[in-house]
Amino acid sequence: MTGPDEAVRVHIYERFVEDGRPPAVAETATALGLVETEAAAAYRRLAEAHVIVLEPGTTDVRMAAPLSTVPTPFRVETERGSFYGNCIWDALGTVAMLGRNGRVETRCPDCREPLVFTVTAGELEPVGAVVHYAVPAARWWDDIGFS
Amino acid sequence: MLAFRSEEHVERWCESEGLERGALMTPEQQWRLADVWYANRLARDWQRRTPVEAEAVFAELGLVGDFWRLQL
Repeated sequence: MTGPDEAVRVHIYERFVEDGRPPAVAETATALGLVETEAAAAYRRLAEAHVIVLEPGTTDVRMAAPLSTVPTPFRVETERGSFYGNCIWDALGTVAMLGRNGRVETRCPDCREPLVFTVTAGELEPVGAVVHYAVPAARWWDDIGFS
Repeated sequence: MLAFRSEEHVERWCESEGLERGALMTPEQQWRLADVWYANRLARDWQRRTPVEAEAVFAELGLVGDFWRLQL
């Protein structure tokens, strides 16, 4: 990834972390001195490359993995703020991305009991849980929301 | 990718959802995968992994077999 796409990617992530939401195309265009159509094209190329996920038919960011723009069952607390992860992988990935100290709160989908994953100085504290991947790796992007 | 209290809870949930059981991993494997995968996502020189690179990450964590294959 080079040029404007890389700059747009970094801007999306930086703003998402700082503001708690990803920037709209117009905001990114202004911040990076791009024409709005150029910024929109970069968003679409990033989505085609599976770097971000857009809401269908729009340039609104739905996911900038590991971060989700909408609430999910994976609440993440980090040194740099609170976020939602797209899944347990992404929730723990958010902790990894933002300082390797934090906690993930979720619930067992079967019994609804709370499960808390705590990471301190890069080490996961013991937790009585198991992680299940329903979809084989080669098919994750067939339906990334479900995966 | 969901976290359950135990394998028994996974089995019960899959049955209730009409899903085949997929792959299981320990919380420690999941944390290590998340750490390797996302620790540098904010870096300016980040590049999406190729399927070969991704499979190497999985294999290093003991995640091998058809379920973890990305190359056709």
